[in-house]
Amino acid sequence: MDEQPGLSDQYRRASPWPLFVALGIPIAEVGILFDVFAVAVAGLLLFCGSVTGMLRESGYAETPWRPLGAFAILLFVVGGTLAFTDVNLVTRGYAIITAGGLLAAAGIGGELFVPKREAV
Amino acid sequence: MQITGQLALTVVMGLFLVVIAAWLAQIEDWRSYTPIGSGGATGESGYVSKEKPAGISRWLTTVDHKDIGLLYGAYGVIAFVVGGLMIMLMRIELLDPEMTLLSNSFYNSLLTSHGITMLFLFGTPIIAAFANYLVPLLIGADDMAFPRINAIAFWLLPPGALLIWAGFFPLGDIVPAQTAWTLYTPLSAGVGGGSQANAGVDLMILGLHLTGVSATMGSINFIATILTERGEKVTWANLDIFSWTILTQSGLILFAFPLLGSALIMLLLDRNLGTTFFAIEAGGTMLWQHLFWFFGHPEVYILVLPPMGIVSYVLPRFSGRRLFGFKFVVYSTLAIGVLSYGVWAHHMFATGMDPRLRASFMAVSLAIAIPSAVKTFNWITTMWNGRVRLTTPMLFCVGFISNFILGGVTGVFLASIPVDLVLHDTYYVVGHFHYIVMGAIAFAGFAGLYYWFPMFTGRMYQRRLGKIHFWTWMIGSNITFFAMIVLGYGGMPRRYATYLPQFATFHQVATLGAVLMFIGGLVWTYNFVVSWLEGPKVQDGDPWNLREDGMYTNEWQWFENKQETALADGGDEEEAVTDGGTTEAEAEAEAED
Ligand code: HEM
Ligand SMILES: [Cu+2]
Repeated sequence: MDEQPGLSDQYRRASPWPLFVALGIPIAEVGILFDVFAVAVAGLLLFCGSVTGMLRESGYAETPWRPLGAFAILLFVVGGTLAFTDVNLVTRGYAIITAGGLLAAAGIGGELFVPKREAV
Repeated sequence: MQITGQLALTVVMGLFLVVIAAWLAQIEDWRSYTPIGSGGATGESGYVSKEKPAGISRWLTTVDHKDIGLLYGAYGVIAFVVGGLMIMLMRIELLDPEMTLLSNSFYNSLLTSHGITMLFLFGTPIIAAFANYLVPLLIGADDMAFPRINAIAFWLLPPGALLIWAGFFPLGDIVPAQTAWTLYTPLSAGVGGGSQANAGVDLMILGLHLTGVSATMGSINFIATILTERGEKVTWANLDIFSWTILTQSGLILFAFPLLGSALIMLLLDRNLGTTFFAIEAGGTMLWQHLFWFFGHPEVYILVLPPMGIVSYVLPRFSGRRLFGFKFVVYSTLAIGVLSYGVWAHHMFATGMDPRLRASFMAVSLAIAIPSAVKTFNWITTMWNGRVRLTTPMLFCVGFISNFILGGVTGVFLASIPVDLVLHDTYYVVGHFHYIVMGAIAFAGFAGLYYWFPMFTGRMYQRRLGKIHFWTWMIGSNITFFAMIVLGYGGMPRRYATYLPQFATFHQVATLGAVLMFIGGLVWTYNFVVSWLEGPKVQDGDPWNLREDGMYTNEWQWFENKQETALADGGDEEEAVTDGGTTEAEAEAEAED
């Protein structure tokens, strides 16, 4: 730092994702807790989508499709547990499964149909 | 009806996501992706300032630790003002036992919100503000270890605040919680006749949960940063005292906040999904108290250690001497950190717990006063025979010590079981912890705000107004909180909107002190706003003349370099300035002066 004074002022860093990761969490929480289907689904999509965006941005993933698939599987497991076991929170479970379904569709669709870009 | 509502909501949420996607797509335009290997601190290989968004987008997308520090600071200050206005209403209500300015239930709501606002929305964030801005500069790191997680941690806070305050907004039949900040069950589990089953309580718990997640993310980040990102010249032996306290605090957060989060989720499940963790037949009334205070006591040290760090850091600069017994101050910090997990039941002495257990908690609580006293003596000895300069930050540091002694000594009294059985749940307790949270923690926060104001803003505040602020607060807080101690000795119970006539005088005295602090608060707001906008520009990197005493430090060195850089390559920076937001623009203007 000493050798390159003011460096971090010249090369500022910015990322659009953290804000939406942070928004996704409360929206999903409120939706799931109060059992409001649309809010729960939107919150989960926002959260998983933004984390995916961040993973890609930071180079942990080359394309967003696999992380989206991974999130979909995770949501299927959680949603399935809520909906189909003794936990018996059927509507909440379906909301989570729906979000998982949409993510899976995006992930699979992207993997199959979006032409591979040059790695950026 | 039901179906159309659901449909409408679906459309709204869908639109919401589309708007976000559109904004993101637009943002992509100004960004050039450079995959950044570790997600860690970079910069060199990132994108240059030309690609930094202008105006509001800059603040929404920043992952720069200094910007995030400023965001935390703005957030903490706003929360402080909100919490302060809440308490002013309450103090007016308490001017007279017959007063009917507020309904009893609204008083309870304000009481609950005041406590949570000050502890979780002001206290923790204002500390994070200093830590974010300063720790990387102090330890010679380019940025925090995980800049994006840093931004996530901050952005969790605004939704958290909205949820915590949700009951106050006109949202259908949602009413604000009246559980007090401790959320004792069975009341907070929604049992009983009041409004405690209302969704307002659920929203508040969710908000609290979010702030806890935020604090935990922040703490992991600070631990990683201090452990792995130190510059070559920064070793454990010469790590500064403020970073030490942040490291210790982060360790405490790491163990305390996840526990609070889990307990809050259990409470939410009890309230909404029919579990029975805290039901009388199951966990009983004590389970919550144990879980809460196992978090709650470390929380008070989470709040006090970094302010102690600020005082240990700033006080020597105006005493013209090094911090006396530096090593022992560090050891005390660590000792307090460890011991703070062994004292939680001193909040539960009056619950009828096993007397043998109770005695052990009393012993540890008395023991924790020792490292606190070590620090106090070290601060005093630092000033002893020093060349003391009573600048505003120094005054706040000295005020901190004075108030901390009063708060600490009353704490030691409360830690003694027989005394506590008499004073528990009276205003004495309120006096005790306000001496610490307001008299000490907030004072240290303001010491820091004044001390680094020239660095944060590039300008100087009005010194005289700073001193007026200090004295109104010093006198005001001692009037208010001492009156509370007296009220407690008289047996005035805490958390009531009214009282017996015999307590009127001291309640009025307490309100007087609060008014004094309110006036001081106005002076401070005016001073900071006006000075930020048009105060005299700081001309060199040493506004406090620290070099004279050989007390110059890294963060001012950085500031000086920054000012010189702005001077040197001001010309080619044109572009960065036009879309670069205020800071550069200011630095630029400064350079041209
Ligand atoms: C010097 C060491 C300290 C000791 C021995 C001590 C002792 C105590 C005791 C025994 C109580 C319980 C009183 C009761 O409810 O009957 C208490 C309450 C409290 N203390 Fe301290 N304290 C100390 C320092 C602190 C510090 C540093 C803080 C804040 C940063 C603090 C904040 C509080 C708060 C917020 C409460 C009230 C909790 C509530 O019931 O709402 N104390 N203290
Ligand atoms: Cu305690």
